[in-house]
Amino acid sequence: MRKKGHSKPNFEENLTPSQRQNRLVLTRTMVLLLLCGVLLFFPLVGYLFNLMVLDHDLLRQEAIANQTAKTQISASRGNIYDRNMNILASSYSVETVYLNPVAIANYNQDIDLIASGLSRILDVKEDFVRQQAENTKYYYRIVKKKISAELSQQVRDFINEHDIVGIHLEPAEQRYYPYTSLAAQVMGFVSEEDKGTEGLEFFYNKELTGTAGSIITTKGNNGTAMPYTYEKYYDAENGHDLILTLDTTVQFYLEKNMQNAMEKYSILNGAFGIVMDVNTAEILAMATLGSYDPNHWQDIYDVNLSNQLESMYQSAIAAGEGTTAYTQGLAKYNEAIKNARLKQWRNRVVSDGYEPGSTFKLITLAAALNEGVVSTNSHFNCDGAHDYEGREQTVHCWKAQGHGNQTTAEALGNSCNIAFSDIGVALGVRDYYNYAKAFGFLETTNIDLPGEGKGYFFPESMTVANLISGAWGQTFRITPLQLVRAVAALVNGGYLMEPYIVSEVVDEDGKVIMRNEPTVIRQVISEETSRTMRQMMEYVVTDGTAGKAKTAGYAIGGKTGTSEKIDVYDENGEQVKDKMVSFVGVAPIDDPKYVVLVVLDTPSDKTGLYISGGIMAAPTVRDVFADILPYLGVEPNYDEDDISAVNVSVPNTVGMSVEQAVKVLGERSLTLRTVGNGSVITGQIPAMGAEVPGNSEILVYMGEEVPKDPVTVPNFMGMTVAEARQAAKNAGIYIQAQGTDTAVGAIYVTYQSVAGGTSVQRGSTIHVEFTDNTVRD
Amino acid sequence: MERLPQKERTLHWDTHPHMDLPFLLLTLILTAVGLLMMFSASYARAFQEEGSSTFYLWRQGIFAIVGIGAMYLMCMVGYDWLRRFAYIFWGISIALLILVLLVGTKVNGARRWLNLGFTTFQPSEAAKAAEVVLFAAMIASFKDKMQTFRYGVLPFGLVMLGYAGLLLPQPHLSATIIIGGLGIAMMFQGGTKLRWFLLLILAGVAGFLVLTKTGYAARRLSAWLDPFSDPSDAGYQIVQSLYAIGSGGLFGLGFGKSRQKYLYLPEEHNDYIFPIVCEELGFVGAVLIILLFVLLIIRGYWIAMHAKDRFGALLAGGFTTLLALQVFLNIGVATNFLPATGISLPFFSYGGTALVLQLIEMGIILAVSCKNDNKLW
Repeated sequence: MRKKGHSKPNFEENLTPSQRQNRLVLTRTMVLLLLCGVLLFFPLVGYLFNLMVLDHDLLRQEAIANQTAKTQISASRGNIYDRNMNILASSYSVETVYLNPVAIANYNQDIDLIASGLSRILDVKEDFVRQQAENTKYYYRIVKKKISAELSQQVRDFINEHDIVGIHLEPAEQRYYPYTSLAAQVMGFVSEEDKGTEGLEFFYNKELTGTAGSIITTKGNNGTAMPYTYEKYYDAENGHDLILTLDTTVQFYLEKNMQNAMEKYSILNGAFGIVMDVNTAEILAMATLGSYDPNHWQDIYDVNLSNQLESMYQSAIAAGEGTTAYTQGLAKYNEAIKNARLKQWRNRVVSDGYEPGSTFKLITLAAALNEGVVSTNSHFNCDGAHDYEGREQTVHCWKAQGHGNQTTAEALGNSCNIAFSDIGVALGVRDYYNYAKAFGFLETTNIDLPGEGKGYFFPESMTVANLISGAWGQTFRITPLQLVRAVAALVNGGYLMEPYIVSEVVDEDGKVIMRNEPTVIRQVISEETSRTMRQMMEYVVTDGTAGKAKTAGYAIGGKTGTSEKIDVYDENGEQVKDKMVSFVGVAPIDDPKYVVLVVLDTPSDKTGLYISGGIMAAPTVRDVFADILPYLGVEPNYDEDDISAVNVSVPNTVGMSVEQAVKVLGERSLTLRTVGNGSVITGQIPAMGAEVPGNSEILVYMGEEVPKDPVTVPNFMGMTVAEARQAAKNAGIYIQAQGTDTAVGAIYVTYQSVAGGTSVQRGSTIHVEFTDNTVRD
Repeated sequence: MERLPQKERTLHWDTHPHMDLPFLLLTLILTAVGLLMMFSASYARAFQEEGSSTFYLWRQGIFAIVGIGAMYLMCMVGYDWLRRFAYIFWGISIALLILVLLVGTKVNGARRWLNLGFTTFQPSEAAKAAEVVLFAAMIASFKDKMQTFRYGVLPFGLVMLGYAGLLLPQPHLSATIIIGGLGIAMMFQGGTKLRWFLLLILAGVAGFLVLTKTGYAARRLSAWLDPFSDPSDAGYQIVQSLYAIGSGGLFGLGFGKSRQKYLYLPEEHNDYIFPIVCEELGFVGAVLIILLFVLLIIRGYWIAMHAKDRFGALLAGGFTTLLALQVFLNIGVATNFLPATGISLPFFSYGGTALVLQLIEMGIILAVSCKNDNKLW
């Protein structure tokens, strides 16, 4: 220290100011060398390393995205076909109109002109177009999606006429359902954004959608070409097609007859039904009425609801923009319209549980027969009311005076609650639960449709009280589909199957991508029990509550059901007495092929008819069978009684002698009555080709002129069979009578297809429905 | 050494120049590489805007040859005469700055260019060079009076304020920053007492903060902090720059194969040429080029340290610092290490007069090296 301190001043003292300065400059330059020559560049190299090595992939990708132009090649959505390759859903090309606000601004386009022009052509608000056009933050602002070719042409003409830059059209696809509302809930629909929504469109969205392709090209900014270019093609892969097990014709018949029933019986809350193949569990038809048209899926189709919504909207609007009443009213309206849509889109067959009522007695009986606790020779006594241990309320049979002593078949045919309480008790809680589980009531059926529910069955810890009401199908909920597949198992030898609605997914070259096969889940009951069940079910139709299900030419088996809704309360907290009436039928019952379930939700009590499955649902299913069985190639086998219930086509007799005519008509179970005295037939009523019931009398005119004047349909309502026949004959028309072979009690006309007082052509045939009001359940 | 012999103070041809060979070589290499990269980077824009891909190459090439000639000339004539003309240069630079405010060409809202007919010229470039010569002369004369405020700070501060007063109205923030940074570095080199730098740094920070509050600079600043928040507008240039740099990876896309130069990256052959270099030559190439600059800068200071007199040392040191600052600021901006200002990259950026001036400055350093006595004082 001392030495240094001594020498330093000495050293400096010897220097001139200039030299001292030089020395300082030297050291300061060295510092600068380190600072500006070395230190400054460390962070730069660090930054470069970060960007070029660490962030390389990310930045390169973004740079490439920035430098390339991507042209989308849209993939076409697959078609949906029914089992006979009828197109149920398809797509066609449309165009979407959009604006490029940046280009509009850059090229100083006349926004007023654009707004007024597009507003006029596309029926959109002018202010909306203006807003979109002025949003210069974007290159892409949609004006209207999916417009028709005609409108596209108008837009093009408009662009060309005024030489406008910034209005563009791009290809898009519009989904189209040629059968409109047919099987609407099964089909679902496609949203504005081309996403499958609801139904098969949703469930198979991935398969139907396909993969959009693209062409990627390098480009310079402002579209200049780059010498080092590359192009990559990604082919668009069109969506796959679905081939359904659904049969459009069967679906049509199911919906038609359900619709008729809704009108005949003033059904207030819709209806649902299924047609299923009992041996494969293929769904041939599935309908929920109170439906909609998937081509216009946003519209509300329930007239009352639609009116209600419209008035809600109007009153909200009337309150005036900006008021709280306006905002609240609109919010309420939006909520209501959302619910209304969800309601009509809902596939009640798979999504909703309902109380099956007496149709479930089949399951109880099958379990008891299979367990051997009941046999075909068992006897049950019904006094109309009975008390059971473990249940507080007395069980009342629907027939207050009781059914007396019944065989097993009679108990089912009568749908006797007391007998079935006995059967349930004999079976026991455990077996009842186990069979219900084996029949699939505790699980979803795994059908290839979205939103499947599984109802609400008893827990394993169910009580005897549960058992007794459960034995006759009350106080729990299952889905219609669960019931149908269980009934299929009852009659097909005992095999519970997995239902399905898509048989194949095929690509555009027809190659099968996926195939659904019939799948047996388990055998629930023996072949023997199944055979017994078929006999029992046939008995219900021939001799029991389901007489109105008799279908001319076919052996039908089935079971009626009527249930009060549980858990449904009105605004006063009173339990609603609304009823659901149902019938599940199987045909032909001696060689089961198809099971049909129809459930009618809440028949009006104002029709004068007794509200029951036997009176309302059974004839509906009968009509369905009468339509679909011949179509599906099930040969009818008519007996004498059936003839008059079947329509035959009238042959030509003109030009024949009476003898010849008798022979020709006789071949078709028709008779004749002559009018006039000629030797050759000169005219006939009805004309050739007309459909008349079997056993009808044809009028042949022997030289006399055939009357051409119309006749008036009598009012048949309330008439007996004999009265109706006579009235028809007097009027010069034919009636096809249905429900006349119901076993018990007096029957009266409750429905006629053409109203009394209507003028019709002489010799027309009208349908007349007879009902025995004592048939219940 | 303190008083120069009379004959050495006159302008003369040095018939036996022993210029510093490494410095000369580095300068020539950088000029050549810079020219090539400028050609590659400008290729697309030259074609798009001038109709010929080699348009900028030819012009820049001619200036490079002229510049190299001027550099040799500077080396030959030595540097002593500059000291006598220091105040005249300063006066000329001030006059040019006033002239540009009056008759300068306005580009993108800034009046920075004088149109000379055959080329354009930025007086701010002349101002930087004049500042180096002036400050070197002042420091060399002030000797150890540099330690005082009166000599070591005040005159320098006034000169810099004067420059700033003429540059900011253009406006030309980047030149102001360089004039300021360069002046401070030269004062430091010249021996101004360290305590004054604290004040200067405080003043600098304060000035910076004031600037960031003004709309124009504030917008740039937010684009600097998060360029991707507004990639299509304020952040556009820096985002495109980062795309180019990031695309390079370790070894780059290859010479001439930049994609960002296809009119994505604005100023790709000017202030933003370095990103194209990165994109084409990769991290390895970019670091090699930085290394060339670093070697040149170190050699420049080395020459300064071996200068035969204080004026030479300050001259070489000043021009080296100017080079270092330009390189640092340019690459710093391109990599978003620093907020965006328009500073060109020496030897690389397109600009004929700037290149010629750059080479003349290198020639002055070489002239200093000719007189090096190869021993530290």
